[in-house]
Amino acid sequence: MNFSHFIFRRTLMVIPLLVGVVFLTFMLVRVGGLDPVGLLAGPTATAEEFKMIREELGLDQPLWKQFVIYAQNVIRGDLGESWLSNRPVLDDIMARSLISLELLFWGIGIGTLIGVPMGLRAAFRPNGRFDQTTRILSLLGFSIPTYWLGLVMLFVFFYLLRWAPPGMGRISLMISPPDFITGSYLIDSLLTADWRAAHSALAHLILPVICLAIVSAAPIIKQTRAIALEVIASDSVRYARACGLQTRTVRSIVFKNSATPIITFVGTEITGLVGTMSLIEYVFAWGGLGQYGLNAIVRGDFTAVQGYVLTLALFSVLVFLVVDIIIAIIEPRVDLS
Amino acid sequence: MARLGNRIRGISRLSPTATAGVIIILLFGVLALFSDMFMPHDPVSSFTDRILQPPSAQHWFGTDGNGMDVFSRVIYGAKFGFGIAIPAVIIAVLIGVPVGLIAGYRGGLLDEVLMRIFDGLRVFPSIILALAVVAATGQSLLNVVLVLGFLDSPVFARLVRSEVLALRSSIFVESAIAAGNPTWRILFLHLLPNSIQGAMAQTAVRAAWAVRISATLAFLGVGIQAPTPEWGAMIRQGAEFMVSGQWWVAIFPGIALILLVFGLNLFGDGIQDILDPRRRVSK
Amino acid sequence: MNLLSVQDLQTHFIFRDIDHQLREAKALNKVNLTLNSGQVLGIVGETGAGKSLTAQSICGLLRPPAKIVGGSVTFQGRELLTLPEDEINTIRGAEIAMVVQNPRSSLDPLTQIGAQLVRLHQTHTGGPLAGSRKKALDMMQAVGIPDPEGRFTAWPHELSGGMAQRVLIAMALINEPKLLIADEPTTGLDVTVQAQILDLLNELVARFDMGCMIITHDLGIVAHYCDQVAVMFAGEIVEQGPTREVFLTPAHPYTQQLLAATPERLQLGVKSQLGGQPPDLFNLPTGCLSQDRCTLATEKCGAPPPLIEISKGHLARCHFVKPAEKGRSKSNE
Repeated sequence: MNFSHFIFRRTLMVIPLLVGVVFLTFMLVRVGGLDPVGLLAGPTATAEEFKMIREELGLDQPLWKQFVIYAQNVIRGDLGESWLSNRPVLDDIMARSLISLELLFWGIGIGTLIGVPMGLRAAFRPNGRFDQTTRILSLLGFSIPTYWLGLVMLFVFFYLLRWAPPGMGRISLMISPPDFITGSYLIDSLLTADWRAAHSALAHLILPVICLAIVSAAPIIKQTRAIALEVIASDSVRYARACGLQTRTVRSIVFKNSATPIITFVGTEITGLVGTMSLIEYVFAWGGLGQYGLNAIVRGDFTAVQGYVLTLALFSVLVFLVVDIIIAIIEPRVDLS
Repeated sequence: MARLGNRIRGISRLSPTATAGVIIILLFGVLALFSDMFMPHDPVSSFTDRILQPPSAQHWFGTDGNGMDVFSRVIYGAKFGFGIAIPAVIIAVLIGVPVGLIAGYRGGLLDEVLMRIFDGLRVFPSIILALAVVAATGQSLLNVVLVLGFLDSPVFARLVRSEVLALRSSIFVESAIAAGNPTWRILFLHLLPNSIQGAMAQTAVRAAWAVRISATLAFLGVGIQAPTPEWGAMIRQGAEFMVSGQWWVAIFPGIALILLVFGLNLFGDGIQDILDPRRRVSK
Repeated sequence: MNLLSVQDLQTHFIFRDIDHQLREAKALNKVNLTLNSGQVLGIVGETGAGKSLTAQSICGLLRPPAKIVGGSVTFQGRELLTLPEDEINTIRGAEIAMVVQNPRSSLDPLTQIGAQLVRLHQTHTGGPLAGSRKKALDMMQAVGIPDPEGRFTAWPHELSGGMAQRVLIAMALINEPKLLIADEPTTGLDVTVQAQILDLLNELVARFDMGCMIITHDLGIVAHYCDQVAVMFAGEIVEQGPTREVFLTPAHPYTQQLLAATPERLQLGVKSQLGGQPPDLFNLPTGCLSQDRCTLATEKCGAPPPLIEISKGHLARCHFVKPAEKGRSKSNE
């Protein structure tokens, strides 16, 4: 009873943030001198046509009025129309979100599964061989541009070794995708026992996921190590040692006490990793939200950019909310009243 | 002089990472400043008879799609690395530190509003943010520097602000106020020197970020374009050739980028290590 | 055979500073202590004298850059300093138990207190879980925690300071140790609670016939609860003996200074109240370590002062102390 109350209040607190996000997104796209009218109208438009388009887009209104209209539209779910695809932005985004989510899930999942144990192990034997190697590797991971890594992997595994498929899309062009159940080609083809499709989907997933996993593991390793070191130096771990508890018991105490800050950290990292993921989508032509958004930005598709940025921000807010709730569940110290 | 030598030995022993980082940074610095001495060819002149040639004795890193020497272009690209990162970080510090000082010191509505704005910005991936703003405001080098500087300032502001908050109620600040010092004096003479340590330790890491992001922008075709010999732009050029086997066009600029960013990160990490009093010391 | 015998224990902090110079702080300088079952020994000294460090050195809880560079610690005849880590781990918490400061932050915040007691019991004593659970409840009862059954599932952050300290005592005693080391067990607790905790400790020590070492800077606690006292300064025991005797007739100038610092013979307070600078552990003087603060110091003090037995069991390390004569102990006059 207390708990659903907690979730409700937490969600309420998020609303001002959402308003701020909508506002920032709105301002973001209008911040420069970019003139969407010029792009839409094309080079041959007359002054008359310019005026018409301007009115249609509502750009002749004062700024605050534009914002109100925009906000109202957002709430109604109307994100405008992409001038590139001439389709409602909302449709474009919805179609692609699941696609990106699959990549994000696997990439960050594997990155965390690798990163956290490595960070912990480094913390248990600080300044040892493993620790020093891991720190260098982690810093290296910070330094490698994701898109370059993707290109190199394509070169090595596709061109040189012929192990991986060309970096285009999520499934071979010659195989028809499985029926839609979850939106994930891999899962859907497994569920429908379409082994060829499953194999192809998996083959296409591997490289982008590895890229994302490597890049997401780097900060996770570093931060996990830092968090674990702090916990190890804390009073409770010192006392646990003084009680003569076995090493593996002490380590589990360290792990449990590190869990909350680690989860919080991964939550904040997801925001940045969504950006990185967009780059990976771009390189591998993944067809997800990231590729859509990057294209939109580069080509000045005004409304699509707005929708894309808004979606990313909303996703981040959602992630923060979920993290808060998870922590409230696992932490006995959180006051649920 | 001997003391200086000992100090350097001490620091390098305390943090081999910082030393390695400094060496790498200095290396690239030399390349950037004295690129003329190291470039065998002109970075923007094309040898139309030698397009897409693999590495050879004449062209150590091969030639790209326009017949330009990749090696020289990579060397020249170091200029962009520093030329963007240094001003960007300086701008970020010049904006972020005062903002952090004032927000932390004054508190109240100003602080609240600023923090809310910064918090709001945190939900946007920094890459996308940088990309969108640069794309919207026009694609020039200056813009890239300004935008990166701007976007990086919250980091410094937050660091300085938390230090100031901790110091605000300390005895020495209280007595400075009681002595009737004007606010600006308190801010700059008393608070600034003591709050800035953490922020300064971050500069190398933020510079690394600036180098990375500017290359990413160039890779996407925003901000800097071909035939400018900037590493990101070069990777963009080389991308199409990667899958057909001409690996040298994109790989070498990437390696250079990795090395410089790595060096900056090493240095930043090493400095933070030294400054952290809880560092583990082995005998 | 003594329960615990510490001989010439030396612990130093060794590291390189930012100028790459090797620095060595001599934190414990030939500490000598003995303790037997049924005895309560109080270790007093100002902050930084090395009291907690002694306890940590005994239990093998030192962290770099602290390092034991000499001496021996025998517990029930066994030499502890040469034992490998996993062996000391079986002794810690079982035969030698520690009660630390900061009870609320020392308990594992993510485990209920009953479970922590059971876990500790299972680690060292083992046996069926039900047995551990019963023992845990018994201990909670013994330390005076009301409603043990109900409190069994309490989280550490739900406890008050005094209650948490009782839990720590229960944790220390659950495996029936022979030696209990209490490091500042009442610092940070309310005054009323302090007395309760110390009475409790005393009672349990008698009941289980343990040896107990209480580390504190509070002379009042020593006066009321300890049969023996050892006075520490600059990592050295400068005087030790039966509490009554040492407090009534202190032999070492430093002890005299301590006792004279406040007329009511209460807490030490800040170092500066005693006059003189705290010793620079990097540059200790040769000879008597107290000479810089001592009103009696002469050139004689350049030589290390011998340990003089003033009367049975009462020893002091000073040149100006006269050994036992005519059965009455007297310091210089």
